[in-house]
Amino acid sequence: MPILTHLEAIRQGIWEEMERDPSVFLLGEDIGVYGGAFKVTAGMLEKFGADRVIDTPISESAIVGAAVGAALVGLRPVVEMQFMDFIACGFDQVVNMAAKIHYRWGAAVPIVIRGPSGAGVHGGPYHSQSNEMWFVHTPGLKVVVPATAYDAKGLIKASIRDNNPVIFYEHKFLYRRIKDEVPAEDYVVPIGKARVAREGTDIAVITYGAMVWTALEAAQALEQEGISLEVLDLRSLLPYDEEAVLASVRKCNKVILLHEDTRIGGFAGELAALISEKAFEDLDGPIIRVTAPDTPVPFSPPLEEYFLPNAKKVAEAARKLAAY
Amino acid sequence: MRAIKSPKTAKIAYHRADGLLPQSPDVGTLERMLYYLKLTREAEYRIERVLYRQGKIVGGVYVGRGQEAIGVGSAIQLVEGDFVLPSHRDFSSFLIRGFELKDLLANWLGRANGPTRGRENTTHVGSLKLGVIPIISPLGDTLPVACGVALAFKLRGRKNVALVHFGEGTTSRGDVHEAMNLAAVMKLAVIFICNNNGYAYSTPTERQYAVKDLCVRGPAYGMPGVTIDGNDVLAVYQTVRQAIERARAGEGPSFIECKTFRMTGHSAHDAAEYVPKERLEEEAKKDPITRFEKLLLAQRVITTRQIKQMEQRIQKEIDEAVAYAEACPFPRGETAIEGVYCGPDCWWETGSAV
Amino acid sequence: MPTNVIMPQMGESVAEGTVTRWLKKVGDRVERDEPLLEISTDKVDAEIPSPAAGTLTQILVRENETVPVNTVVGVIDGEGAAVSAAQAQPATPLPGPELKDAEAAPGLPANAPSVSRDKIRSSPLVRRIAREHNVDLAYVRGTGLGGRISKKDILAYLAQPGSQRAIPPTAPQPATPTPSSVPPAVSAPAPAAPPPAGTVAGATQVVPMTAMRRQIAEHMVASKRTAAHVTTVFEVEMTRVFELRAQYAAAFEQRHGIKLTFTPFFVRAAVEALKQYPIVNASVDGNNIIYHRDINIGIAVALDTGLIVPVIKHADEKNFLGVARAVQDLAGRARSKRLDVDEVQGGTFTITNPGIFGSLFGTPIINQPQVAILGVGVIEKRPVVRDDAIAIRPMVYLALSFDHRLIDGAVADQFMNKVKAVLENWEESVV
Repeated sequence: MPILTHLEAIRQGIWEEMERDPSVFLLGEDIGVYGGAFKVTAGMLEKFGADRVIDTPISESAIVGAAVGAALVGLRPVVEMQFMDFIACGFDQVVNMAAKIHYRWGAAVPIVIRGPSGAGVHGGPYHSQSNEMWFVHTPGLKVVVPATAYDAKGLIKASIRDNNPVIFYEHKFLYRRIKDEVPAEDYVVPIGKARVAREGTDIAVITYGAMVWTALEAAQALEQEGISLEVLDLRSLLPYDEEAVLASVRKCNKVILLHEDTRIGGFAGELAALISEKAFEDLDGPIIRVTAPDTPVPFSPPLEEYFLPNAKKVAEAARKLAAY
Repeated sequence: MRAIKSPKTAKIAYHRADGLLPQSPDVGTLERMLYYLKLTREAEYRIERVLYRQGKIVGGVYVGRGQEAIGVGSAIQLVEGDFVLPSHRDFSSFLIRGFELKDLLANWLGRANGPTRGRENTTHVGSLKLGVIPIISPLGDTLPVACGVALAFKLRGRKNVALVHFGEGTTSRGDVHEAMNLAAVMKLAVIFICNNNGYAYSTPTERQYAVKDLCVRGPAYGMPGVTIDGNDVLAVYQTVRQAIERARAGEGPSFIECKTFRMTGHSAHDAAEYVPKERLEEEAKKDPITRFEKLLLAQRVITTRQIKQMEQRIQKEIDEAVAYAEACPFPRGETAIEGVYCGPDCWWETGSAV
Repeated sequence: MPTNVIMPQMGESVAEGTVTRWLKKVGDRVERDEPLLEISTDKVDAEIPSPAAGTLTQILVRENETVPVNTVVGVIDGEGAAVSAAQAQPATPLPGPELKDAEAAPGLPANAPSVSRDKIRSSPLVRRIAREHNVDLAYVRGTGLGGRISKKDILAYLAQPGSQRAIPPTAPQPATPTPSSVPPAVSAPAPAAPPPAGTVAGATQVVPMTAMRRQIAEHMVASKRTAAHVTTVFEVEMTRVFELRAQYAAAFEQRHGIKLTFTPFFVRAAVEALKQYPIVNASVDGNNIIYHRDINIGIAVALDTGLIVPVIKHADEKNFLGVARAVQDLAGRARSKRLDVDEVQGGTFTITNPGIFGSLFGTPIINQPQVAILGVGVIEKRPVVRDDAIAIRPMVYLALSFDHRLIDGAVADQFMNKVKAVLENWEESVV
């Protein structure tokens, strides 16, 4: 099976969907001639032409709004945010226009808004955010956060085929660091289904995105100490796989909720509420969060390192929880 | 009125309604225009002054009294496959595109039979079949959407157009800039129609923008801009016609400022005391319906008797529609959770125009 | 090295205690285990031996002051004052579910409760497993932070042979099983309520309730709030019992060294009836009925400061003599305040005896979580009709207060008929 990077897997997924369905087209800044700021769309202009790989002005609101309009009349636009931080400029179109149309008057809005998010590359406050929760709290949207190359391809394809607006988070730290066996043929990973990234028995670490790798690293380190971590990769946050979360909790009885996003209002809070509502009597210890602190993402490497959850922090929390 | 093709026609070109122009619509269309003008005026009167005050309509009520000519003069010439994205004061656009008055009223009354099944209020009603995409309350968001609709037309090689209405207050929003720029850059078949009715809620035009006429915005983006008398339905018709022709020919978007006046408060609960009385009296003399009616009578296109019959017919239609809407049931509360997502179990009859 | 003297927890639900007397003054020399002070709780009054040898350097809680358990009441300074496990305990309970380093609980023999029940730290999962396997967590040794019982601990406990230790009847254990309608001999005036309007200030005396009094008050009200009380009264002829006593009293005392009283007769009669009507020996737990396998009969004993209800465990396994011995022993030690905490817990049915104070019958309050209580009135000769003639017979009124949530009137009366029949037609040998 071919080995692809996270980024190549996303590209291949989009590529295949564009070949498969002529209504799929791309909108974004610097995605055509330049091939995208991270080169996700490299080669696509040459392959699919300027009508389907459209360079736009710097107008996030117009890009999203135009994608909605085109989607309403039958196309399947895939929008790139150069950085997911900039989606704020098109926020109104995402949360007020795209998210609510189907509920309001029944029209499908099959758009995908994708782009790089996350920290770890010294990008500073505006090129590092994990802002997925802005959209997880917006009914009508779907929010997808893959960790592996396999899932990145399968989920981007599922997102493009979905009849609802999907916000697709690509972690820039994973783009070229993560390599995976990715089938060359067509497959989709269903939105809303989690994946057990590692089986374990003592503590379930429930996470998503780049933190899946952090959790796996911690799990490996703790194995020698006799603490067995299960790692659950959510893959989608809206909708999310409630059953998989509860299954891991019921199996391990202790839980760490891990994300790169900041703490207050992070996804861990939602999961903690779910677990306490539906699996309270399966808990053998407190629900523990490992997250970034409630600050913007700092630039300077020591600050950023302090900010980001890492395997050491996860392992420390896991040791304490195991002894609880 | 000046030719729209010249980017320099940034002046008010009042069409004087003293005769029909060579390219004027045929008699049948003229009659339909008068019918929709009157139907819109009367239906909105019933909504704002009767049903709202009776407590049968709750929430916000926004009507377009005094500015009916803009919606009628533009929407009347759309063909199948075209889209209109009306403002909240373009009730006529919904009727002309084929929404039934009784359904729109059921929606106003929040009934289960309304097109949105009680999910949305006022004229937040859309239909892909009829080619109508409604506003959302952050006004101006429909302009980028209109660009997307036109982009889809372009990518599919279709000659259809997207006609988008917005007020002069909305032009202060960034989305308007982004959309006009995008449409011009991509040469999209969008007709930007600014219904300049003098006030954005309580804000008069001099506190909204610092140019004399907004038509200068068109050339600023690289598209024609023109300012016309929005109370002259034939001027609207004529100007929009030229813009549509350009758009269908692939020559890109146009910007048309229609000067009119809001003859009500911002909403049914706004007494609009901030509007000088003299101004209202002055503007009342320019009423678009009276003016058009006079012209049609003078040109012998229609008789007084025919107008009378038309008015009776309109009242009957409204009575019947109101009776229907009031007889419709309210939706069951638990249906509120349905239809957030488009999926196999979705009960919406979704259709695509392309 | 100073050693703290703490207010001990003398009972599962005891939250506080009163220092009644210091036996040493500050500066006094005290030996390890030498009586140091006396305390009073709602369960027991006790003499507290010194935890260490040395000098009493500080008295932090004065006489008649009431403080929460684990509060440091004094300090011993001097040689050999080794820190004991009890001293290592913080004065206040550890905070809730928070990852915090704390010392592990000391090892305890598996057959003894590790800690008193309200101090058990576990988890929702552990509590569920305990409920499902009928395990009393007090017997499970916790190895988690601060002695917390974890999943691992309870699973290990369950893996031991014979580890299934029944939980006492219901989940919310009553703090003190002491209620009945016996009017306790209250020595202290206790008008705790505000004086009625118009009362001249100074004409009343405000005295705080003792711990025992407060507990009794609480449990009486709680029981009235919990159970649907109904009282049924039966008249029982005691001729047969009288005859037996007349015949055997002297021999009984001589042979066994205890007096042949009426109480064992009532206990035995109740046990027989309880065997036949197990619903009367039950508890309510939410929507469940808990039938108790054991029959543990509480006997209300009046004290001069209130009352206490020692329990005859496994009363159904005892013959008349065994019951008589147990009654004698428990009542004696109750009056001298030498009961163990264990001996006032786990009752499944209670007998109270207002008759000794002359009452014809009372309407006793049920001792939660039990569902019935038998009140014995005064036994005296009364004119009764026998064969259409007036006869003089020793009679007693027996009043059964029962919880109508669980026990129907018919069942209660059948139960009483059984009691009556056993007493009136006594068959068991008493010697």
